[in-house]
Amino acid sequence: MNRLLKILGWAAVALAGAGALAVIAIERHEPINAVWLVLAAVCTYLVAYRFYSSFLAVKVFALDDTRATPAERLEDGRDFVRTNKWVLLGHHFAAIAGPGPLVGPTLAAQFGYLPGTLWIVAGAVLGGCVQDFVILFCSIRRNGKTLGEMARDEVSRRGGRIAVVAVLAIMVILLAVVALVVVNALKSSPWATFTLAMSVPIALGMGIYLRYLRPGRVIEATVAGVALMIFAVVAGQWVNASAGWSRAFTLGAAPLAVALIVYGFAASVLPVWLLLAPRDYLSSFIKVGTILALAAGVLVVHPALEMPALTRFADGTGPIFSGKIFPFCFITIACGAVSGFHALISSGTTPKMIERESQARLIGYGSMIMESLVAVMAMVAACSLQPGVFFAINSPAGVVGHTAQAAAQTISAWGFPLHPATMQQLASEVGERTMLDRTGGAPSLAAGMAQIFSRAIGGGRLLAIWYHFAIMFEALFILTVLDAGTRVGRFMVQEAAGRLWAPLGRRAWYPGILIASALMVGAWGYFLYQGVLDPLGGINSLWPLFGIANQLLAAVALVVATTVLLKMGRRRWLWVTLGPGAALVAVTMTASYQKIFHPDPHIGFLAQANLLAAQLASGAVPAAQVEFTRRLIFNNRLDAVVTGLLAAMVLLLVVEAVGQWQGILTGRQPAVLHEAPYIASEWGRAEGD
Amino acid sequence: MNQPSVSIRASSKSIRSATGRLSRFVQGWWRWLREVTGDAAYDRYLAARGCPTPRPPLTEGEFYLDRLRRRYSSINRCC
Repeated sequence: MNRLLKILGWAAVALAGAGALAVIAIERHEPINAVWLVLAAVCTYLVAYRFYSSFLAVKVFALDDTRATPAERLEDGRDFVRTNKWVLLGHHFAAIAGPGPLVGPTLAAQFGYLPGTLWIVAGAVLGGCVQDFVILFCSIRRNGKTLGEMARDEVSRRGGRIAVVAVLAIMVILLAVVALVVVNALKSSPWATFTLAMSVPIALGMGIYLRYLRPGRVIEATVAGVALMIFAVVAGQWVNASAGWSRAFTLGAAPLAVALIVYGFAASVLPVWLLLAPRDYLSSFIKVGTILALAAGVLVVHPALEMPALTRFADGTGPIFSGKIFPFCFITIACGAVSGFHALISSGTTPKMIERESQARLIGYGSMIMESLVAVMAMVAACSLQPGVFFAINSPAGVVGHTAQAAAQTISAWGFPLHPATMQQLASEVGERTMLDRTGGAPSLAAGMAQIFSRAIGGGRLLAIWYHFAIMFEALFILTVLDAGTRVGRFMVQEAAGRLWAPLGRRAWYPGILIASALMVGAWGYFLYQGVLDPLGGINSLWPLFGIANQLLAAVALVVATTVLLKMGRRRWLWVTLGPGAALVAVTMTASYQKIFHPDPHIGFLAQANLLAAQLASGAVPAAQVEFTRRLIFNNRLDAVVTGLLAAMVLLLVVEAVGQWQGILTGRQPAVLHEAPYIASEWGRAEGD
Repeated sequence: MNQPSVSIRASSKSIRSATGRLSRFVQGWWRWLREVTGDAAYDRYLAARGCPTPRPPLTEGEFYLDRLRRRYSSINRCC
């Protein structure tokens, strides 16, 4: 009877999901309600978690709770700590949830809500969740080794080196692009700039409290910090209204970029307790709280999706980024479906804290489902805006024109009606000077979130407060990625430099800290500055570069996982990692090729460089712009080289791995698995008794 | 005459059990929050040391700094 009820229950979930998908598929002319999208996604997640992740756990990985995990064998109360699975789920989710799943879907909404949502859901359950789960499993079986170490042990020494260099390169691109998102959200906005600037003294105060007054009392310090941050959001309107203060906090893109570069350097060289850690506490609290509030808001308000299912930009002529759905929708969504960076978290602290192997299913597969749901919510928020408004916010002035009149005319001609006064009205409602040319996804997501929140609480009166709360939430945790990433990058640079000259490798040697921090900040700062100067807004070229880098890392993780499964003798189930791995290699290699060699200058870096060079040679460029144009040409060529190098590194790793697979499959090479030896778990036995 | 007192007793019992459930729920959440944020980390560290060792345990302040140093030495935030 019980079994029958379960079968009927799961059949009902599957039918509800299929029904919601049918509504999405059939409805073409009227705006559909967001509820259908969310219902289809949630039912898919439930079915995938219940059946597919269980299949992976039992059949493919054969998770074994009688085997002691690293937290049991190596317990030290510091790194290796037995942690309750719900606590670890919280830790792991807070670590993996970054700006990617919010910004990526917002940008990909230019294709309409359908392609992006389908990939967010399907890509997550078949690719992203599998990657996070399998890498967590592999790392648990190897005492918490990192992805790079596992690549070295299981693939080859060269494979390990490639993985480490790829991680560093990807971090540089990642930090540059997220910094650019913040710059574009804050430029010419005294309210948003003031609010974010306030986070620095608030964090310093928290840091001193946590260091000297009440060491380690994170909750009380963070509650006070969050209250002050909310007050800073409210106080921002007074700054905005005062002529003098408003002028002081109105910064252009270039000075903001310099400020972020200085901030990144400071966060990297200052003691971690003073700035980095307290800011991280602040942003983690606000991040998780706001994500929950957004989910609740979407359910309560259930807005209609104003964006069509599929827009005309599926042909590759999109204003936000150029290129067709394949491969650029996949590249742009990135973290909401599959994120290579998660493999670094899954092989970092989490495997050292897990109590039992079977919990890897909830923590690895489950938290990626939550991340994917965040991406669906972001898609809903972006698509609930009027499409004309969405394109006006996200399109660079270089594409739609520099005035409200020109932008409205261009966007209306695309088939998305927009009155010039609409944008001015929106700007005054949210307390901004202008909402035009705010590329990067953050402002349009904030506008969508503000619309949803204000319909639930406060109405139009609170729209400006909600908008700036959303901007603060996005900018705050992007900055946390920026400072934490710069610091880890600094350690990686120090480690590499230490091989050339030993003192540089010492983590506490101050000249070494300064040099390595400057190198790291200089690298991402260069790409950031290049994005700020780009007449097409920078996001156009940098976000695809970031997406390619991130997805290449995911391909690396899946290749390593396939090698491990093969060595474990799971030939029959290799497709679970080989399938998504091959798909990602196809997507990233196509995207890399197109970004380098595509003849359309909007897509191909070299074509753009050649076009500018031809303009320069023909004398079509005014004298004042010659130097600037030369720099643009150099930057485009540099982007092409970086893309090519990343793709080449990953191809090399794939070739290494395939050679090894061939050796194992033909029996020429023994399948040597580098797992920690089996030790029976006492914890499992104690609880089982 | 007996009827109302039985129902009062029953309802006060159900109120007690409801408040008990609520308090257990709140306590559960509080424990979870303390663990997730790291507030409970020092207690865990002391507990994990178990039997006395020659070296004295770190103080709360030392432990906090040590924990931060470890936490921010590897990738712990994602895109």
